[in-house]
Amino acid sequence: MADLALPQTLTLSEDFASALGEPVATLDEVVQQALNSAAHRERWKYTKADRFLAQTSASAKPPQISNENQIGVSWQRQPIAQPMSGLDLQQAPEAFARLCFAGEAMRLDITAPVTEPITLVHSENTLPVMIYVSANASLSLIEIIEGHEEMQQSVWIDIGPNAQVLHSRNALNDTPASWQYLNVRLQDAARYRLNNHALGCGIRRQDLHIIMDGQGAEAKLVSAGMVDNKAALDQQITMEHRQPKGHSEQTIHNIVANGGKCTFNGRIHIHEGASGTDAQLSNKNLGMGDNATINTKPELEIYTDDVSCSHGATVGTLSKEALFYLTSRGIDQTAAQALLSQGFLRQCIDGPLAATALEAMIGPQNTSDEH
Amino acid sequence: MNLLDVSNLHASVATDAGPQPILKGLNLTVKPGEVHAIMGPNGSGKSTLANVLSGRPGYAVDDGEAVLDGRNLLDLEPFERAQIGMFLAFQYPVEIPGVSNMEFLKASIDSLARARGEEQPNTANFMRQVRELAGSLDLDPAFLKRGVNEGFSGGEKKRNEIMQLLLLNPKLALLDETDSGLDIDALKTVADGVNRYRSQSNGVVLITHYQRLLDYIVPDYVHVLSNGQIIESGDKGLALELEAKGYAWLT
Repeated sequence: MADLALPQTLTLSEDFASALGEPVATLDEVVQQALNSAAHRERWKYTKADRFLAQTSASAKPPQISNENQIGVSWQRQPIAQPMSGLDLQQAPEAFARLCFAGEAMRLDITAPVTEPITLVHSENTLPVMIYVSANASLSLIEIIEGHEEMQQSVWIDIGPNAQVLHSRNALNDTPASWQYLNVRLQDAARYRLNNHALGCGIRRQDLHIIMDGQGAEAKLVSAGMVDNKAALDQQITMEHRQPKGHSEQTIHNIVANGGKCTFNGRIHIHEGASGTDAQLSNKNLGMGDNATINTKPELEIYTDDVSCSHGATVGTLSKEALFYLTSRGIDQTAAQALLSQGFLRQCIDGPLAATALEAMIGPQNTSDEH
Repeated sequence: MNLLDVSNLHASVATDAGPQPILKGLNLTVKPGEVHAIMGPNGSGKSTLANVLSGRPGYAVDDGEAVLDGRNLLDLEPFERAQIGMFLAFQYPVEIPGVSNMEFLKASIDSLARARGEEQPNTANFMRQVRELAGSLDLDPAFLKRGVNEGFSGGEKKRNEIMQLLLLNPKLALLDETDSGLDIDALKTVADGVNRYRSQSNGVVLITHYQRLLDYIVPDYVHVLSNGQIIESGDKGLALELEAKGYAWLT
């Protein structure tokens, strides 16, 4: 396998470079090594990294934001002067490269409980977004990925003690390649919930790195994906429990149909000392039609006793029992299959973007009548 | 005309060791307005009869025929059997998360109406009817928003089957051990539902292990199924005799 490389030399601001703790002179080499490490190769095993790496240096614009004029909200463009919390060059060298190439980020500060949801719309390659949520603050964040060009988004969220973020994201656009990198750090008793809805496209890559970096933090991830008509979706999730008494719960349902390809890697890493952790992950995949490809791999790394951890991945087809039950009530085979597959996804479609997601993933929602 | 005519039915179930013959020449005739109870020891073929008549995958008909209201059942897909008036109340109703009971019932009633060239019911009226039916069977109407049978107790699942029976109003109701796992109050509720369904134009085939259900749903005929054949038929007195003596004196 050829070596992976960035499209051009990294340039860093002095502040950023000095705060990084890596020798700047050899930073390109460090990134190059990280890109070619065994762990990184594994993360990009089923999706070619080259195309995404090439795009990391593309020009980027701020996402469109709405409802930013509220008390407790500030939104500004600023140079990237220091590494953000949760930055791990080894874990995500390509996300680090995006930060360096962009040189600037959009910074959103939330300093109070915010009543109206804040919406970010990404309709092209967008600048990295850094969101800092102060202690005791709360935010409902809506993210919509749209447009038909190749695009990348990276979002870093740092949630302060006892603060809360409800995050809803729809990535339902059709584009040759789309990458969403999301990094969330939770401090003491912080709470985070993500409702993610994704359609496959040429190739959609979603990286999610959640760091439980405070005692008693709670994270819940619910995701529904539909990968049809030779589209592709690659989801890589790392849930890191670094502190005691964290609770994480992940439920990911994906349907893969008609030549679609879906890759899921769900890693739970429980560090030494993170006792009393409760971490649950369930990934269910439904293969339908001809030639669906599903790769799913749950990974557990546990370095402490006294944890409760469950971890499951299934690949299957529609339940014959359920199909028979529905058809025995007069519902024909095709309609019964549609009901079951919709039900499978609907279990993971929720939050303020649920209606749009249902419409895009399942079809028109008309609970009244179907003439 | 007979409502249901089963003649010389031979059927086998697919197993890892190949097809296993279960029904070995079964005959049964149900006329409109009749209730037939089918009893018999474990393994005699009671559930297989229900499964074969309703078209559950995994069974093969080797010989014989089954005619419902003039149509040969065994050529039809399960949904077509339902559309011509067959209903199976499941021994183990299936849980379907993500599909609400209401959505399921509406899909069912609409499919049946379409197949019969009838108008699909108005949604508001339909929902009212379903709520009333649920209430009459001691089912909390809130369950209609939940997934089909999801998190239901055994008794709730069985009452949900009877609610569907009353809603869909089929020509023939096959009840596969609907009484199993019910306490006495739930048993009465279920029996009351079946009695409300009974009419001069439909028929009931009641598969049960226990005579107790027949105190509440009084059958016109009781049949004993053994080794894939009906070996004895009688009136409800036969069920009492079986309760007292067991099956050994017959088999």
